[in-house]
Amino acid sequence: MVVAQKSNVTLKSLDLFREVNKTFPKTTQILDLKQQGKKVFGWFCTYVPEEVIHAARILPIRITGYSEEVELDDGNAYFYINNCSFSRSCLQLGLRGGYEFLDGVVGGSTCDGARRLFDLWRHYIGTPFHQVITVPRKSTEPAHELYYQQVVEFQQRLEEFLGIKITDEALVKSIGVYNESRALLKKLYDFRKLDAPPVTGAETMEVLDASFRMPKELFNNYLKELLAEIEKSGNGYKGRARLMLVGSVMANPEFVRCIEGQGGLVVADELCTSTRYWSDPVLLKKGEPPLLSLSRRYLNNFPCARMVPSDDRFNRIIALARDFNVDGVVSQIIRYCVSYAHDLPLLREKLGQVGVPVLALDVEYGTPGSGQIQTRVQAFLEMLEAKRK
Amino acid sequence: MTVAESRTDKINAIVRASRLILRMNPARPELQKSDAIYYKMLATYFTRLLEAPQKGGFVAAHTVFFPTEILYAMDIVPMHTELTTWMAAMFLGEQAELLAGGAELGLAPEICSPHRGLAGAFLLKALPRPDVMLWSSLICDNSAKSGELVMKLNDCPGFFLDRPFQRTKPEVDYFVGELGRMIDFLEQLSGKKMNWDRLSEMVARMDEHIKLLQEISELRKAVPSPFPYQGYLKLLSVDYMFPGQPEATEYLETLRDELAAMVKAGKGAVGKERFRIMTLFIPPMYMSGFLEKISQEYGAVSVVEPLFTLWMEGGLDPSKPLESVAKKSFLIPESRTMYGPLSKQMLDEVVQIARDYKVDGAVYWAFIGCRHTCATIKLFKDVLNEIDIPMLTVDCDLVDPTINSKEEIREKLERFFELLEER
Ligand code: SF4
Ligand code: SF4
Repeated sequence: MVVAQKSNVTLKSLDLFREVNKTFPKTTQILDLKQQGKKVFGWFCTYVPEEVIHAARILPIRITGYSEEVELDDGNAYFYINNCSFSRSCLQLGLRGGYEFLDGVVGGSTCDGARRLFDLWRHYIGTPFHQVITVPRKSTEPAHELYYQQVVEFQQRLEEFLGIKITDEALVKSIGVYNESRALLKKLYDFRKLDAPPVTGAETMEVLDASFRMPKELFNNYLKELLAEIEKSGNGYKGRARLMLVGSVMANPEFVRCIEGQGGLVVADELCTSTRYWSDPVLLKKGEPPLLSLSRRYLNNFPCARMVPSDDRFNRIIALARDFNVDGVVSQIIRYCVSYAHDLPLLREKLGQVGVPVLALDVEYGTPGSGQIQTRVQAFLEMLEAKRK
Repeated sequence: MTVAESRTDKINAIVRASRLILRMNPARPELQKSDAIYYKMLATYFTRLLEAPQKGGFVAAHTVFFPTEILYAMDIVPMHTELTTWMAAMFLGEQAELLAGGAELGLAPEICSPHRGLAGAFLLKALPRPDVMLWSSLICDNSAKSGELVMKLNDCPGFFLDRPFQRTKPEVDYFVGELGRMIDFLEQLSGKKMNWDRLSEMVARMDEHIKLLQEISELRKAVPSPFPYQGYLKLLSVDYMFPGQPEATEYLETLRDELAAMVKAGKGAVGKERFRIMTLFIPPMYMSGFLEKISQEYGAVSVVEPLFTLWMEGGLDPSKPLESVAKKSFLIPESRTMYGPLSKQMLDEVVQIARDYKVDGAVYWAFIGCRHTCATIKLFKDVLNEIDIPMLTVDCDLVDPTINSKEEIREKLERFFELLEER
């Protein structure tokens, strides 16, 4: 188990995030905003430029599934069993009314699961507004042009739907709010680079989960509070090894807790619910429309396994492993999440070349970590310890 | 990853099997002239591949729905990777070895089997080493992600062709640009030049092929329907192997004439037609003969396959060859229906097709490796139910025989035919 080295102060402000996660999707904040007549949109994937929704004075929230492993009867019936449990879980939650308050959904042509989730959502759940954005799989100049055109079209459709104009000023302001969030999250992650990080991986994931489930401004305030508290706490954790999590979408702190319960301190990740969500700020350029800077950031962001060439993703994972002084990588791939499954042999080889071993786990979305996972993590940690000797 | 010494026994065996069928052809009166042309095409395709290294040919391995016409116009030898794995499954029944190769590479069993098989085939050097690997986002994550491992296994360069999601003008323009960039890349790599006149000729022929395929579909509306249950596999592979090629014209014209003659004579593909089936997605390749037998036994004929053989639109323009190649990519039945958002219009279209072809029941072959198609099962079932057409879903694998037994499939189909009979 991960052990507190110095003081072990309970971080009270974590409760703010926990409360959001516990009640999501129907959090008090969301229901209150709805009652005040504010619109709420759900988005399916990190390639959807959230700032555009925010600039339209709509609350953007990320559609995620159940936070625990549940029977996915409806998910299976509507999606069939061979689609990833993330998509099935999201759809089931939607079919059962979890997101009934949504005024719109926005998806991307990002992977098979995500694009079909959009199709099924539109057909069986339906929301007043829905849009799927074509996301190129390359980040070449022509690909950027296409993606920018898609983002412009998205903005225009949104304007038509709302009968408003999304001004450049509003966009710049929203970008500012989101960039602040990214900068604050970077600070949180910088703590994890320390020899004895003051926060655990599971706690970090709790913060991250809340980041896409609540108004960003409020999240930033909560996070500032937490950062100040961490600074004062003097906390420091040590484990048997420093680990990085890679692979499919995951929003489940219990899974991280399971790994940390075995003594593997999770200090970094490349998940689209964590690092890949916040890592790159939008760089506004003088004389350039803010929407263009925004679209550049989204296509150039830390790539998902869907992008080609995969080396861009691998290189950034390797850089993270170095920056966070990682001993080993835990790859968790949801069954039928094919983009990540295809990358695994090549990623394993690349990490092997820089001396970082990989533990590959097949998981289901929402899993808290089974006995089998615990045993495999144990064996992996033993191997890492032996390697160090 | 240790890659084996080069062997091409699988390809050799496919060529031998095709030639054997051809030799036996005269002794099998049930085989039509079009069948002979088809097997000759198979033999030609794979022989050219086998002989490429000696003849100085430049071999391009590529994934499914790749615009092979570009390769032909550049005098590059194509190697359709998934098709070759399917053929190995169909003719040789040796897919286990290839799939084991995929597993050895660490590819998860959830990855679609033709892709695991093709990676395994390259690991085992059962396919010739390509000079270049070409792959695209058509039609799923598997095709979009399979190229880099193949490049690595063969230590060869590659190009990823990014085919956008929807058929809007900016996306089609982007795709035309991608095709142009790929041609530049291939010209530099192979030293071969694009022959634009040849490409225009091919576009004209592809347009003719679409019309022929539409005529063939029309003929299949006849009662009884003249086309054998498993015939659509040939329609598929002809476009995979010989798009815009004269061989394909000969095959399709001959087939059309044969079917027209049968319709005129009131002859159906089975002795007594009892059930007209709409086939949704592709049945297991290796069960081809077995399913044909069941079809004969029960008088069940697949009259239409809206997701993979029914071409709804043509109109390619030889004076704009690259734009037409791009356009064709959006017209291919499977890419039209299965890649891109699945609209209400598409679902309504399937309902209309069921009516037009007087369909009694539909069979959805739920290939467990193909996630994005299986995600449409309920959508199709629901819309067909609305017009009182029952749909059977059969879990299967395209090439892996360990997923289900023939008995199981027979039992399911029998029960379904009983249900149709009772109605
Ligand atoms: S893993 Fe990739 S495609 Fe899937 S939701 Fe995350 S960013 Fe989108
Ligand atoms: S990236 Fe993977 S986990 Fe995410 S939706 Fe696609 S298949 Fe599912």
